[in-house]
Amino acid sequence: MSSAHSASSVITIEGLDKSYGGPKQGSLHYIIKDVDLVVKGGEFFVLLGPSGCGKSTLLNMIAGFVSKTAGQLRVGNVEVDKPGRDRAVVFQQADSSLFPWLTVLQNVEFGLKMKKTPKEERRRISDRFIRMVGLSGHENKFPRELSGGMKQRVQLARVLANDPAILLMDEPFGALDAMTRRTMQKELSQIWRETNKTVIFVTHDIQEAILLGERIAVMSAGPNSRITDIYDVPMDYPRDATAPEFQALQRRIQSHFEAALEGGAYP
Amino acid sequence: MKLSTKSSAYKPRAAKWFPIVLLWLLVLAVWQVGAWIYGPEVVPGVAETWRGAKELMEDGSLAKDIGVSFYRVLVGWSLGSLIAIPVGLIIGRVSPIRAIAEPFLNFIRFIPPIAFITLFLVWFGIGEQSKIALILYATLFIVMMNTLTGVLALEEDKVRSARSMGASEWQILLHVVIPATTPYMFTGIRIAMGTSYMAIIGAEMMAANEGVGFLIWNSRLFFRTDWIFVGLISLGLMGFITDRAVGWLGHKLLRRYGVVISSGARR
Repeated sequence: MSSAHSASSVITIEGLDKSYGGPKQGSLHYIIKDVDLVVKGGEFFVLLGPSGCGKSTLLNMIAGFVSKTAGQLRVGNVEVDKPGRDRAVVFQQADSSLFPWLTVLQNVEFGLKMKKTPKEERRRISDRFIRMVGLSGHENKFPRELSGGMKQRVQLARVLANDPAILLMDEPFGALDAMTRRTMQKELSQIWRETNKTVIFVTHDIQEAILLGERIAVMSAGPNSRITDIYDVPMDYPRDATAPEFQALQRRIQSHFEAALEGGAYP
Repeated sequence: MKLSTKSSAYKPRAAKWFPIVLLWLLVLAVWQVGAWIYGPEVVPGVAETWRGAKELMEDGSLAKDIGVSFYRVLVGWSLGSLIAIPVGLIIGRVSPIRAIAEPFLNFIRFIPPIAFITLFLVWFGIGEQSKIALILYATLFIVMMNTLTGVLALEEDKVRSARSMGASEWQILLHVVIPATTPYMFTGIRIAMGTSYMAIIGAEMMAANEGVGFLIWNSRLFFRTDWIFVGLISLGLMGFITDRAVGWLGHKLLRRYGVVISSGARR
């Protein structure tokens, strides 16, 4: 059931640009410029950066929602040019992405239904992932009856049910209260280890990045945003935010951002 | 103990109904006072109107007029809605078509149905066709505009998530766009019902041998202001009952899509 660390879930990005027409005729406004990146199969990879740095744009390009201007973007050996079942997306806003006219179960079954999976199998798969995200007993509720954290669990179960190789997550816990966020982070980390998915996780929260990621890419502020540094996080899961090495790394990344703020640009 | 809980449960109901009953009594009183002042030829009193109604009921003409008007509204309104919904969906989803159609829609929706009566009589004759065509017109653009508004209000995240779960464009239309647009369509359909009544009365006054509009217009020949009152009250009742029926049906059948029983009463 779980996809192995296969070559088909490796994401290769070379010289990737995204630009829009600028205010003057012929001028270009670059959102991201010259991004090079390889994300390994089964890796938990975090994109960290200030608001508006283009990390969501990069994620949307990997998802196939936004087209590239130049460069290469491959998943496995296939050039990305449209959304696909292999790349699931968990959106920041559950309210705008869940289907409010469907129950929790029907939301989770959506992708399987589109694929015309037989009813019994659909039910079996959905049950498994509803249990995995801790929503058993809430199958017949509508999204409006759920809390913010529970809605994000529905989103997670909904994409996992399609067995994608890659999970693309755009600040999925950004709108949650601090307590719920911590719980969700722990559970996501555990689900990732159970399912062996490749995860690309966008956040602007340094602590969240270190709690979750195997590697953390730091992006510079836009426009012309690019990846300035990649930090390895050689710590075992589950991670302890009070451990000295955790806090040392947190300080390192923090000072990186502060230096950038004072300098007006990244070194 | 039991009695007191019963009466306290009863009280809010009484408190709710009391002002409504009071208002209706007040309306009746003003009406009756008007009748005393101006005489029954100008303002027929409550009793005269009731006698007039009994006359019209005894020879069966009131039931026939109401039936005919109701039939015309129902046919034109159903046809209009059936045509308007798919057209509205297409205009909403296909931007090149929208670019052409939107200015046209915004031009034509300012021409009230009544303005078309004479033209439709020339085109479709004085029979049923011209009346049904008029109501179809009255319904068409309201339902179309509302459907279009609903399609444009659809969150991009919903479409994106469906697409990355493997839904085809047709499946997106069927399983995302239509359910998400349903409350807008329903609002349009409900507003169109009111416009349809306005249109049919106009048409029946101009050219018809039966119908409530004909009843009101024809009564002037006999100086039967009491029959005119009967016609007006019938219209009010017809509109009220159909609107409530449509609202109730919407609430029963379409609640999961976010259709509420009426704008203020429930949320």
